[in-house]
Amino acid sequence: MRCSYGLTAIPGTDARFFSPETSFLQLRRTFQPTRIKFGLFKIKAKIDEARKEMSFYELLGISERGTSLEIKQAYKQLARKYHPDVSPPDRVEEYTERFIRVQEAYETLSDPRRRALYDKDLALGIHLAFSARRRYQYDEDLEDRSEWKNRWQSQLSELKRRSRNRDAGGNMSWGARMRRQREELSKEL
Amino acid sequence: MALCASSFPAIINWGAASDPQKSTPFASHFLGGSDLVLQPLKKLNQVKKRPGGAYASLSEGAEYHSQRPATPLLDTINYPIHMKNLSVKELKQLSEELRSDVVFNVSKTGGHLGSSLGVVELTVALHYVFNAPRDKILWDVGHQSYPHKILTGRRHKMHTMRQTNGLAGFTKRSESEYDCFGTGHSSTTISAGLGMAVGRDLKGERNHVVAVIGDGAMTAGQAYEAMNNAGYLDSDMIVILNDNKQVSLPTANLDGPIPPVGALSSALSRLQSNRPLRELREVAKGVTKQIGGPMHELAAKVDEYARGMISGSGSTLFEELGLYYIGPVDGHNIDDLVSILKEVKTTKTTGPVLIHVVTEKGRGYPYAERAADKYHGVVKFDPATGKQFKGNSATQSYTTYFAEALIAEAEADKNIVAIHAAMGGGTGLNLFLRRFPQRCFDVGIAEQHAVTFAAGLACEGLKPFCAIYSSFMQRAYDQVVHDVDLQKLPVRFAMDRAGLVGADGPTHCGAFDVTFMACLPNMVVMAPSDEAELFHMVATAAAIDDRPSCFRYPRGNGIGVQLPPGKKGVPLEVGKGRVLIEGERVALLGYGSAVQSCLAAASLLESHGLRLTVADARFSKPLDHALIRKLAKSHEVLITVEEGSIGGFGSHVAQFLALDGLLDGKVKWRPLVLPDRYIDHGSPVDQLAEAGLTPSHIAATVFNVLEQKREALEVMSSRN
Repeated sequence: MRCSYGLTAIPGTDARFFSPETSFLQLRRTFQPTRIKFGLFKIKAKIDEARKEMSFYELLGISERGTSLEIKQAYKQLARKYHPDVSPPDRVEEYTERFIRVQEAYETLSDPRRRALYDKDLALGIHLAFSARRRYQYDEDLEDRSEWKNRWQSQLSELKRRSRNRDAGGNMSWGARMRRQREELSKEL
Repeated sequence: MALCASSFPAIINWGAASDPQKSTPFASHFLGGSDLVLQPLKKLNQVKKRPGGAYASLSEGAEYHSQRPATPLLDTINYPIHMKNLSVKELKQLSEELRSDVVFNVSKTGGHLGSSLGVVELTVALHYVFNAPRDKILWDVGHQSYPHKILTGRRHKMHTMRQTNGLAGFTKRSESEYDCFGTGHSSTTISAGLGMAVGRDLKGERNHVVAVIGDGAMTAGQAYEAMNNAGYLDSDMIVILNDNKQVSLPTANLDGPIPPVGALSSALSRLQSNRPLRELREVAKGVTKQIGGPMHELAAKVDEYARGMISGSGSTLFEELGLYYIGPVDGHNIDDLVSILKEVKTTKTTGPVLIHVVTEKGRGYPYAERAADKYHGVVKFDPATGKQFKGNSATQSYTTYFAEALIAEAEADKNIVAIHAAMGGGTGLNLFLRRFPQRCFDVGIAEQHAVTFAAGLACEGLKPFCAIYSSFMQRAYDQVVHDVDLQKLPVRFAMDRAGLVGADGPTHCGAFDVTFMACLPNMVVMAPSDEAELFHMVATAAAIDDRPSCFRYPRGNGIGVQLPPGKKGVPLEVGKGRVLIEGERVALLGYGSAVQSCLAAASLLESHGLRLTVADARFSKPLDHALIRKLAKSHEVLITVEEGSIGGFGSHVAQFLALDGLLDGKVKWRPLVLPDRYIDHGSPVDQLAEAGLTPSHIAATVFNVLEQKREALEVMSSRN
């Protein structure tokens, strides 16, 4: 279930939807790429922990106003440094972890849409974990699309149900009146 | 189109897309006279095998060739009625063929590619399910109507797209009965569709009305006005929201793709990824189902309430306006589209329904998909490589010069800000955005808001430059009059695409801006005759701080004069024109780009022994009275020339001449303006000739006034 990614901190909306789960926050200390289920409602205090983590900008070593060119350059530099193939053998794991993070940072910051979202969250003090953020993509994957089909099918059946009662005597909209008139005329013929 | 299975000895590689390994020869065409051979299409596993030959198939390998692609199924379709017996599988193949046909046609003529590619499946589905022309299908803006035109009897004319006497680049009622409403400016189809639906209801008919509108066009207020009314009237109609997350044009700035502008886009995006809420809704539905029976009304209310509460903030917006929301739907899946449209069509009494279709701009042509601007508007290109054949020019466009001038002014004055309405590329303000990201505002397709927004900025002491096309400024006219001019707020209007605009045609033609701007009491109205003058006028506008001002410049490139040093203009004296050539007897007083035509006319007349005076008025308001008096008193003939409609510069000059008593003397005064009809799309040269404002026409007018009819005919017939 990937519920919480869709419910970001939008000012003025219900806050209880936005807390990430505790367990995955702890996960960030020891990076594990396994998928974790997290629920909708959790303690928000854990987010303070998130603030101590490095933001993508700090990770890449650029200012928050960096241009896409700067981001690209920083990424290339760091990628070359931390790539598993060129990292010193005793620090492979640590370097690989950094490499993956750098890559994720670059993926988010190079796409202006995702960067905009990330900046917004950062401003509000919420820094979701990398793995959680990864799912916050607006590129639809197949799962989403099959979801869509279910959704519009139910919407269509609802439409059919509604239309049965639509022009009942109580409905005084202009369109309903015209339709009734037309039905009566065709009945007369 | 015969499919021959013979192989060809000579195979020419087309760029990177070719792969010389076992290509199965499948079709061949010789382009008359040319010695190029169509490379046989590589058979990949997507090619459907059918008795009689293989088919054009768009694979990821994406081979596109300069010859017309084989389109066996599309060849059998001349009108939508020919589609009615196809199976859904055949519809899919038809979409692919239609797509390749669109790419081929646009590569030969130029035009709007990305948007047309995005709606191929939607067009096929609509024409399959509905019965145009009795059912009305409206295309907002119209630039995505190329597949629609191909399917509705105009395929054989696609090579004339956007050319003189050819197909229009937008839908046009006079062109075909399948184009039920003319579009060009955005956000009009829901309004027009509602009008057609209500008309149908009043007449007691039963046809369907479908309005296709994009998410960009949804940012305009008129769409909401229409939806609000549609929800209230409750008339049956279908609105298809074509959502490709591209709100502004170009769909990218100079550094890469830009996220869509406005809060609505994020609302629409949220609609697409709504999972947790949907699950909650399923639960609610289950509950209402169990109530059932005689409680169905109550259950319906519960469901409606639950639906509104949990179906996401975006759909609630449409629901609140009274439109039944269905979606999101994959806009490239014909199965889905056909089944939804069929369902909605067969449901009686739906009221207004909104189907949210998600498409991808440029889909199916990899170069377009990958390009930052999604190949929104292209010139002729090579389909195999995607390279456009852009001409080389010594000078840049007026748009670019304007942007550079504004940047130079903004460097010196930090109060200068720029506003545009979803046209960052078209107005050149993407350059400004790159230099001053905090001082450039894109408001979406909302010219009215842009003008009043600028007025608000001016109240705070900033210096707003509103860059809006002359034709789009028509939308914001009340705001210009009431919010800006009446209060005398110093908003500067930079009107690009003034005068005739070429291939886009009358929908984008900027004929009226001098007329509607110069009649306003407080407005300063000016027009540069070349790019250096443009720089100076930007500086002048920046300097005018006590009243609104505007200036207009045409589409096209500069003429090659020297630019002011540092690309920063010097403010001109307001209300002063200049004389370019001193002559006698006849004076040509030009306004804006027409001055160049006057100069050309003068050189034409040199050979006939006439030495004309040519003057550049620069300002239509306030007029240079001294200059006009001088010209009127010392010449026999005074001709004013402008690329605008009646009521503009020429009329202001006429008013002044009359009030000043200058018409009581012996001077003959003639105005040259755009004719009192809409000039159809075509090449700029053809349009100018059609309008009667070429240098030859001006010269002929001079001869006519001087009673030298023979020379007039001579000059008109010898023009090339």
